[in-house]
Amino acid sequence: MKDNVISETDVTTDKIKIAARDVQVYYGDNHAIKDVSVDIQDKTVTAFIGPSGCGKSTFLRCINRMNDTIDICRVQGDILIDGEDIYDSKVDPVQLRAKVGMVFQKPNPFPKSIYDNVAYGPRIHGLARNKAELDDIVERALKRGAIWNEVKDRLHAPGTGLSGGQQQRLCIARAVATEPEVLLMDEPCSALDPIATAQVEELIDELRQSYAVVIVTHSMQQAARVSQKTAFFHLGHLVEYGETDKIFTAPEDPRTESYITGRIG
Amino acid sequence: MADQHIASAFDRDLEAVQAQIMKMGGMVEDAIRLASQSLETRDAELAVQVRAGDKAIDALEELINERAARIIALRAPTAIDLRLILSVIKISASLERIGDYAKNMAKRNTVLAQLPEVKDSTGAIRRMCKTVESMLKDALDCYVQRDVDLAMDVIARDEDVDQMYNALFREFLTFMMEDPRNITSCMHLHFIAKNVERMGDLVTSIAEQVVYLVTGTQPDEDRPKADDTSTKLKG
Repeated sequence: MKDNVISETDVTTDKIKIAARDVQVYYGDNHAIKDVSVDIQDKTVTAFIGPSGCGKSTFLRCINRMNDTIDICRVQGDILIDGEDIYDSKVDPVQLRAKVGMVFQKPNPFPKSIYDNVAYGPRIHGLARNKAELDDIVERALKRGAIWNEVKDRLHAPGTGLSGGQQQRLCIARAVATEPEVLLMDEPCSALDPIATAQVEELIDELRQSYAVVIVTHSMQQAARVSQKTAFFHLGHLVEYGETDKIFTAPEDPRTESYITGRIG
Repeated sequence: MADQHIASAFDRDLEAVQAQIMKMGGMVEDAIRLASQSLETRDAELAVQVRAGDKAIDALEELINERAARIIALRAPTAIDLRLILSVIKISASLERIGDYAKNMAKRNTVLAQLPEVKDSTGAIRRMCKTVESMLKDALDCYVQRDVDLAMDVIARDEDVDQMYNALFREFLTFMMEDPRNITSCMHLHFIAKNVERMGDLVTSIAEQVVYLVTGTQPDEDRPKADDTSTKLKG
């Protein structure tokens, strides 16, 4: 224990969860990600920041092979999770996505009940042997999503009837229901009001105890608040990657500085 | 960083608050100069003027802090902008303190003007003030120009001030031992000398802020310190 220094940003592990090596992504002729190599730590929130079109979402989507769904998209280089190449032909993308959960910009609950939204993943992956087990999984996931108390009396009401902030936390609960190891979040708060944003940010900090969280955000302040590591992307390059504190007080690259201080970069 | 912010009002706010610092710096320079002049010429009226001028310095510090707080609240500055705002707050506090020491010197000058003169002791204090004044001028210049080399030079020059203070400390002890009637004057002169030495330290901290502002790291702590009077048994 460090005396006197109370920092929420302490990274508690050095374990590398995701290792990317010389990753290139092309959309047709468009070279969207150029030579990105990065080590993302376990039990850490890593923020990707950068101007629109810099490739941060594209890179995020490589981590659970969401780019596979885009025909013209080609990914080169290696992305390893726990040392295993996720682009290996033996890897089933559906299994991969159970392990690497994702939360999107706009809350997108299924047009089903709150219960079924969360139970969907565990059901198709066969994680529960009976109803009681499934109930447990749903309850645990909703608690993890910090929404249990608000919905426990109406589990069979439609998920789409919740407020935007609640829907997003429901989606987070849905993503964690399959016991993933990595959680990807693509602008999870951009459609939420400040209070719902604060709740989701609080939740992200709790989720860090269990997962490697990677978040793409346009809000610099959000990146500074929730993450321990920050990666700055610009024009498809990973310009700077380091401790969030360092990036926001004394970044090394002038492009990072220009961007985070709101100058034309 | 020559680039402009996308929000041009942010640039204007940052420029305005730095301009206030420069204005405050100029006022503090004047205060030191006039206070040391009033010491040498035993000019009680000038001393009163210095004491009155300190109010304006204090008011400006308050204004700068308000502006800085406003920028933090509205703009959430990061990186170089954050360091700039931090430096503004710290530098204004240092300047305000230097102004206080000048004011205190002026107060003592009023008393000293009514006491018999102690040999040529004021000349040495005057030289010390001159050194601090030129250090302050350079500290403000290097702030504007973001000149780390000049800042390091200012930091190094504080050693001269410390040494001048050491010499004066011994001198005053001697004067007091020679003739106890000198004690009142020498006590006042010694406090003045100590305060000028403190001014040097504050100017040094301003220069350190410049280094932090430009490089993002504080300069090394182990700068040479030559004030050894606190560990000496005798002068």
